[in-house]
Amino acid sequence: MSPELEKCPRSLLVCEKSNFLNEKSRHDIHVSKHNFNYKISVLIPDCEALPANISSAFHSFSSYYLVRELPVYQLLEETFIESHVKKGNFYALSYNTKIDEENTIALLSSVVTLDLTDKSLTPGTKRYQRVLSSLKDRLPLRYDFLLTKYNTGSDEDQTLIKLLSQYSYEEHKPAFSHHTLKNIPCPTLYPSDIQGKTLSCDPHHFLEWLGAVNLDISCENAADSFLSTYVCPEPQSSVSQALLCTVTGFISPENVFVLLQELRQYIDEPKFTPWISLTVHGFMDSPVSWGATEHGFLKGGENLYNFVCFKNQDYWLHMATGAQDGCPP
Amino acid sequence: MEEPSKFEQYVYKNASVYHYMKISLVLENGNKYITDAQFKQLIICGLKDLYGEVGASFPFDLLKFDQNKLTGILRVYNSGLVKLWSALTLLGTYQNEACAFRVMQVSPFLLALSGNSRELQFGDQLTL
Repeated sequence: MSPELEKCPRSLLVCEKSNFLNEKSRHDIHVSKHNFNYKISVLIPDCEALPANISSAFHSFSSYYLVRELPVYQLLEETFIESHVKKGNFYALSYNTKIDEENTIALLSSVVTLDLTDKSLTPGTKRYQRVLSSLKDRLPLRYDFLLTKYNTGSDEDQTLIKLLSQYSYEEHKPAFSHHTLKNIPCPTLYPSDIQGKTLSCDPHHFLEWLGAVNLDISCENAADSFLSTYVCPEPQSSVSQALLCTVTGFISPENVFVLLQELRQYIDEPKFTPWISLTVHGFMDSPVSWGATEHGFLKGGENLYNFVCFKNQDYWLHMATGAQDGCPP
Repeated sequence: MEEPSKFEQYVYKNASVYHYMKISLVLENGNKYITDAQFKQLIICGLKDLYGEVGASFPFDLLKFDQNKLTGILRVYNSGLVKLWSALTLLGTYQNEACAFRVMQVSPFLLALSGNSRELQFGDQLTL
């Protein structure tokens, strides 16, 4: 049999271990650099009811807008740049454009291929005029866009609404749901053993188990079962209940950071919960993953990260990407 | 309580042993009643047709099966991904009825299958 048949696409998993209280901890940078987030999933073992502070954090997530047929040059208009781009916390991504088949547009309030904060692209300069007229006249690109802005004041909201009202648009709130899982096997994790050599299970098996929980896959199969032999990785223990919360939409990194702070506060309080997991899925069709690191779609467009928070404010951070991505930072 | 950790970082390249596939079976004449075992057996037959008994003799798991939508999640060793995917592509009939497998998502991380942004869909009609 040809050895070519046994090849498969490359995958990358970066695992970091640190402490939130460590002044050199990069957890805030990692969260802030992952700009386009589609789904967030939180798993809290030994927890039945949704804690109030975490519920508030989820419900405080900013709305996002779907605007149809927005010309790309509008994102370069001077008033738009002054009102939204330069103030930061604004994100836009073309909707329903598959990066492996067609053009994709993304707007970050930071360095990108067209650095809107660069002096040469200041409104009025020759380069700015050339780029603007190219997008208006020669290449009039129009796409459906997802837009979001974190914590907008009412004035900034009005400017955005005024722009959007020229086109068809809808406002959406991220969709939130939660439920309690009963009597599930749960991997044992010790903060000091991220590699899973002695006390914990190893990172790949842990992430696989997290996927199984999120997808409602049975973890209790016999080794000789015809259908599936998947089991919870060792070492494990049984928990009587665990809370699983998910939110989907177009979610800004600032919202993710607020949620992370609330989860840290929750686990700081005395309780049975040994650890909390926070998973953030990026958009498959985003042209960038962390910061301006290029993201692609070969067989899949995964770019996700997962925090495991422990009682002593230690954390693990797993960052996973696929074949056509730069290595996460 | 353990002492706070020092910083450590590990980079794993191609360390995932498995690939995971989210697939859907489409039948020409609409959905039939198919059990999880029949679903898996259909895939095994496809593998044997294409690669023979020896070529198809690698294990894969049907981690999850939705009988209403005829969708499933498969787990396969990396060395079997190409053979499994090609067999799914070329499978054309089930009980003398035309059918096709659609591969909806593939990833080396099962967790990635729970967050597919291409599923974010809105209605075509917008109201202002």
